[in-house]
Amino acid sequence: MGLQEQYRKEAAELLSSGEVKLVIGYGEGTTADRRRPVFVRSAELVSRLVLDASGVANLSAYLVPEGLLSDGKKVAVFLKPDGVRSINILAAEAQLDPGQVVILGFDIEGGQPTPLPGRKASDYAPLIESLKGSGLSPELQAEADRLEQMGAAERFEYWKEQFSKCIKCYACRQVCPMCYCRRCIVDVNQPQWINTSSHTLGNFEWNIIRAFHLAGRCVACGGCDRSCPVNIPLRLINHRMAKEALDTFGHYAGESADQKPVLATFRQDDPETFIL
Amino acid sequence: MTRILLNSRLDECLGAWRSAGFSVFAPVKRAELTRFDEVQKAAEMSLDIVMPERTIKDHFFLQTEPLIKYTITKQQIDTEEMVPPERKRVFFGVRPCDASGLDIDDPLFGWDYKDDYWFKRRDNSVIVTIACAKADDFCMCTSVGLAPDTAKGSDLMLHPLKDGRGWLVVPHTDRGKALLEPVAGMLQEEAAETAPVPSIPAKFDLERVTAWLASPESFESPLWREVSQRCIGCGSCTFLCPTCHCFDIQDEGDTYSGIRRKNWDSCSFAMFTMHTSGHNPRNTQSTRWRQRIMHKFNYYRGKFGVNSCSGCGRCTRQCPVDMGITETLQEISNLPK
Amino acid sequence: MSEPFEPKIVAFVCTYCTYAGADLAGTSRMKYAPNVRIVRLPCTGRISPMFILKALQKGADGVLVSGCHPGDCHFAQGNYHARRRWTVFRALLAFTGIPEERVKFSWVSAAEGAKFTELINGITDSIRALGPFEQYQELQKVIETQSTY
Repeated sequence: MGLQEQYRKEAAELLSSGEVKLVIGYGEGTTADRRRPVFVRSAELVSRLVLDASGVANLSAYLVPEGLLSDGKKVAVFLKPDGVRSINILAAEAQLDPGQVVILGFDIEGGQPTPLPGRKASDYAPLIESLKGSGLSPELQAEADRLEQMGAAERFEYWKEQFSKCIKCYACRQVCPMCYCRRCIVDVNQPQWINTSSHTLGNFEWNIIRAFHLAGRCVACGGCDRSCPVNIPLRLINHRMAKEALDTFGHYAGESADQKPVLATFRQDDPETFIL
Repeated sequence: MTRILLNSRLDECLGAWRSAGFSVFAPVKRAELTRFDEVQKAAEMSLDIVMPERTIKDHFFLQTEPLIKYTITKQQIDTEEMVPPERKRVFFGVRPCDASGLDIDDPLFGWDYKDDYWFKRRDNSVIVTIACAKADDFCMCTSVGLAPDTAKGSDLMLHPLKDGRGWLVVPHTDRGKALLEPVAGMLQEEAAETAPVPSIPAKFDLERVTAWLASPESFESPLWREVSQRCIGCGSCTFLCPTCHCFDIQDEGDTYSGIRRKNWDSCSFAMFTMHTSGHNPRNTQSTRWRQRIMHKFNYYRGKFGVNSCSGCGRCTRQCPVDMGITETLQEISNLPK
Repeated sequence: MSEPFEPKIVAFVCTYCTYAGADLAGTSRMKYAPNVRIVRLPCTGRISPMFILKALQKGADGVLVSGCHPGDCHFAQGNYHARRRWTVFRALLAFTGIPEERVKFSWVSAAEGAKFTELINGITDSIRALGPFEQYQELQKVIETQSTY
């Protein structure tokens, strides 16, 4: 039995026993290689669930909208390890109760989905520990290295060109499980810190502030990067922030549900070599 | 006999248009994005694609447009209007759906008040469309009554030749004819066969859809929630749409000076209809998605007699969660009678 | 002849230490470069990175952020939190090509009038040597002009 069949069966059991009220998974998309999020509320409809190597989106963002979990009932969701880390962060930031999330875990290896047995986020602690510090794909790493080697002025020009493409559609924000603010800072207009217009300056400010707000929180699911309709390599910038959190503070985002957010805590002996 | 433009003479044409005072825009791939930008040489163009990721709307209705500069002093308020320059432009290699989009938006920008920012650019631009040689799974022009070689919105239309040597040239407006004058010597008269246009099967029954949308009960249909469940509420479908035209006026600056700007806005955003009181009449994503569909295929049609969709399919092609107009209209079209 | 370049520097300082240090410099008749505009805030913990971006947006050539030495925070922990934020924000600025020479961080206590004076003079000299932050200011200039088409 393939993993898809196994999880359809498990989803049907969870729904018919009343253990969960909803299963969030992937379904057929417009084309053969596209998967779309689907919401299954009854055991009869589990055949809509599809699980294969195209199921790459981090579905944890669908758990955050107000009201979904407020009835205390459970929801099952297809998650890869990055999604489990998102659940941990959301729990650590008091956005959800991880006890309400039943994880149908999987990972993609060699173009095939492979099962991960944990059903609770806490079951994933050893796996997440082993992933600590895993980096970018070789191509993205090469691009990141190329950027690091540039001088500041050249790097500025690189991002200026990238951000000049931004249309402020906020797909990066909307798709991100970490962007759950009811009113995003860019929508705050009294005072207006960030230019809302999507000229290059406004785009620069927006993308910098979003990256800062994700520092030590991004799990590198790549959702922003994939969603960006104008192909800005957002993953590079978020990865740079994750690296800073790990290298300087030993913080790997989403290790557990009681991990303190990296910028909401401190150690008295935090490094401060740059402070005059 | 018909007029032919050979690929090999395109550079000469671009040169002639530039000498005649035009700036030439074409789809180019820069920094991993294909969009219309100014070009000098034919080699810069990306013409062998289904369509650029961004539309030519961007060059008529700017994503952020300064309107007035203001300074406020104790005694008075000074304003300075920022008017778009009248620059002659040729848009080369436009897709028929994008060109149609301009045509669809014309009545809106000229309805009760003639929007100079739009029309100054429209009046000074010549649209040179290339009929599609290929389509993908997302293309749906045929479903909204258009075609891969529709001439709507085109001043000049080029039909690819079967042998790939160039294009058959067909002017559709006086502006298109005038654009041929400086390049007359570069075209040749010969009988040539054009490549077949791709066949794009209709994806839904537009008449059924519009009839359903027009019926008052449809407004509260459970369908809206069903189809928009996975919508994340970003604005990519609206901003990549060749016909979406909503905007927001923002004053950018401080108490004493600044610029009033016209920025793209999107009905997908919760902020779009948020009242100062905090009340939001469209407070769920399904009501916002309903608005988008109703506006395009019911309200706009009622006011201007045309659907506000040219079938480019970008809304689905670029959607982070694989949603889009096509799916919703298919669902409506498939509803039991 | 054009005027020699004088940098504009914005200093975001906490009221309990660095602002008092600046005050001490003043009452002690120490002279420091007039290029700095001081913005006083309750604590470095209150200094959002957005302030730094806003200063650059409004044409600053350099920014200084300064507060109490570790252990001296009036609110016990504000500067520790700020320090983490600065560490991350600095890396972000560097990665997006905003030179680290233009955004400086320091601890200056209420007793360190002399340190404040030296700091401001040093930063002013180094930013004067760097020249105006034209790359960033260009972005602002562009939005103040009409589009070219």
